[in-house]
Amino acid sequence: MVNSFSRRRALQLGALTAGSLALGGCVSANDPSAGGAAAPEDGPLRPGSAPSGEITILDDNTNTTFQASTIAAFEAATGIKVKSYTQGNFNDLHDRFATLFAAQDSSVDVVMTWAGWSAEFGQAGWLQELDASAVPSDLIQPALDAVSWDGKVYGLPKFSSVQTMFWNKEMFAAADLDPETAPQDWDEFVAAAKAMTREGQWGYACDIGNAAGAYQNFLRVLLLNGGDMYDADYKPIFNSEQGVEALTRFQELLTLHQVMDPASLQTTNASDLGDQFARGSTGIVFNWPFQYAVATGEESQLDASTVGNGLIPGMSVRSASIDGSEGFAISKFSQNKEAALAWLQFVATGEVQSKIVADEGWFPVSEPVLTDPASIEALPVLQTYQESTQYATKRWGVPWSSELDQLLSVQISEVMNQTTTPKEALDNAAAQTEELVRRYLG
Amino acid sequence: MTSTTTSTPPVASAPQEPRSTGAGARRRRLRDLRFALLMAAPALVVIVLLLGYPMGYALYVSGFDWNDKIPGDRPFVGLGNYVDLLGDGQVHRALGRTLLFAAVTVLGGVGMAVLLAVLLNVDFRGRTLARVLLLVPWAVPPVVNGIMWKLIFDGATGVVNAVGLGLGLFRERVQFLADPQLTMNVLIFAEMWKLLPFLTLLMLAGLQGIPANVYKAARIDGASPWQQFVRVTVPNLRGPILFALVVQTMWSLKVFDTIFVLTGGSGGPAEGTTTLSFLTYLVSFSNLDRGYGAAIAVASMVLVLAFALLWVLLLRDRHKEGVR
Repeated sequence: MVNSFSRRRALQLGALTAGSLALGGCVSANDPSAGGAAAPEDGPLRPGSAPSGEITILDDNTNTTFQASTIAAFEAATGIKVKSYTQGNFNDLHDRFATLFAAQDSSVDVVMTWAGWSAEFGQAGWLQELDASAVPSDLIQPALDAVSWDGKVYGLPKFSSVQTMFWNKEMFAAADLDPETAPQDWDEFVAAAKAMTREGQWGYACDIGNAAGAYQNFLRVLLLNGGDMYDADYKPIFNSEQGVEALTRFQELLTLHQVMDPASLQTTNASDLGDQFARGSTGIVFNWPFQYAVATGEESQLDASTVGNGLIPGMSVRSASIDGSEGFAISKFSQNKEAALAWLQFVATGEVQSKIVADEGWFPVSEPVLTDPASIEALPVLQTYQESTQYATKRWGVPWSSELDQLLSVQISEVMNQTTTPKEALDNAAAQTEELVRRYLG
Repeated sequence: MTSTTTSTPPVASAPQEPRSTGAGARRRRLRDLRFALLMAAPALVVIVLLLGYPMGYALYVSGFDWNDKIPGDRPFVGLGNYVDLLGDGQVHRALGRTLLFAAVTVLGGVGMAVLLAVLLNVDFRGRTLARVLLLVPWAVPPVVNGIMWKLIFDGATGVVNAVGLGLGLFRERVQFLADPQLTMNVLIFAEMWKLLPFLTLLMLAGLQGIPANVYKAARIDGASPWQQFVRVTVPNLRGPILFALVVQTMWSLKVFDTIFVLTGGSGGPAEGTTTLSFLTYLVSFSNLDRGYGAAIAVASMVLVLAFALLWVLLLRDRHKEGVR
């Protein structure tokens, strides 16, 4: 009896208790029977009167200004400390965020977002909704759309981004094309690309090597032919006549006209495409604004005098483009939401936006900076952006973006490899998308 | 001297035998068992926490219609997700790719490993260096392996294209990573390169255990090199071969890292390299469909266990044949 509760028994009980607590903790955080997002509903976030403390930021690697100067300026202006600012590859961030959110991790306060993730993570209840009083009044609507879903604002934009056309003036001149005149429609674009395609160089290149890239390239040609992804009730309409024709003409760049670099089918991101254009052996690319900075950078074969920029030539419309604006959102599980909101608002100020325009080549999110002559002087392609606002520019960020990207990329890849027809591919994709819409919107 | 030395201990221990069958011996055995369990406990706890818990939790989650992007209730659907698996074309295609990949890498890998081991078992100048070089692919981390082969097979700047064009083997650049079938071939090649060192070492160790006089006897009996290989080498390597089949099958069915790196995290092109493991990742982490993703994971686990069991049964049968 004396030995009934020995040291060994005590150790056994201790280990059992610790194990049970650990397992119990895991289960309570991720118990499916507990329903959706577990964070308490505390309403849209308003600006704090005197936010303080420290924040942790997880961003993609598209901005250099923040580390160079913005963080120091923010800390000096607000007294809030940026405990950690980490950049990750865009293609890896989705899963990283999803894991953090699913674990209800509070170690990250601010996350980078764009239209698709705002919809996806916002609907999941993982992003903090912002009150209207927290949203600056001078923001450009497309930029604000990138951080909104279903009428709710989940963050503030950090830069605007719209694809425009970039061309290599030296290659234009060598092909007896006027280097100062952009192709005005699709036929002129194809003709120019044909003229420039020869041994060792291609008239056109794009990035359809991964799911998101395939979707973006398809959406762009769809809009360029006057089509659209959904009707007002989110019924997929991208398999319309315009859609089939758009995909057919896109495929013909590779198979009929043979002006598209075949490596486009394995290029997985816009950065690689940007570098490819800067190497000087690709005539035309449709890319994000950063392309100008890359193409005129020190390591580029080109410079400001040999890079042309203009509207993307349309098929049945003059032009159209896709939006790639990005922003910052606040994790629902953050313990420093007011301080995090202060960072979001600071990044959207004119001072920071002007630096992003001048130093990085992205478009601003605030109207005054967009219309400031100094901005156009610093970033000539901003003029093209202003022109592009007259034409359709969309992204269709939706909660089912990941699934849509995957299923559409399969169909587009098969079209490009000529194992199916554009019509069959789009009909198939539309049927699957309809299922997705039904699942997510009911 | 030898016989005296070996016969002494049994004589010395003989008087103790009656006592060893008594209650004291049982207590000792029980105490030894408790001690053994105590020693194994830390490892068992780690296994339960790191393997048992996730597996059990995956099984639990697979019973729910749990998609993070759909707020609200997550109803319990029992076997509903598994029923959906049966009719899901994407799962069927992924299963087909997984089996194809496993068949080629397992059978091809083990076959090549046997041949390489036989070559490296022959005494030749530089054999030690060759054996050391064999280990290089094994020392390369899987992610680096994926990046390396991605660069080598790149359609625009890859070495394979440069060499192929230079030697006149290709008329134009081949887009290895743009076509689903070609990408699967590259994946198989990259995986084979990575797995060969381990398998070859395994076979080499087996070859070292075959007595030289067996070959000598075969040669005296007039056996040709091929007959020696078929009649002596292969039967004596049966154990290592079956072990290699078991572990390589498990590894091949679970392949993930090389696919992720090689295809930029897409499992493409046209889902051409989306195996069951990769589909689990896409469904669970990209689509946030946790319940269905868990069901695919559990199904994959069952598949791996089934194949492991199959090989183990074969191993047992072969072993019995060998005994007979």
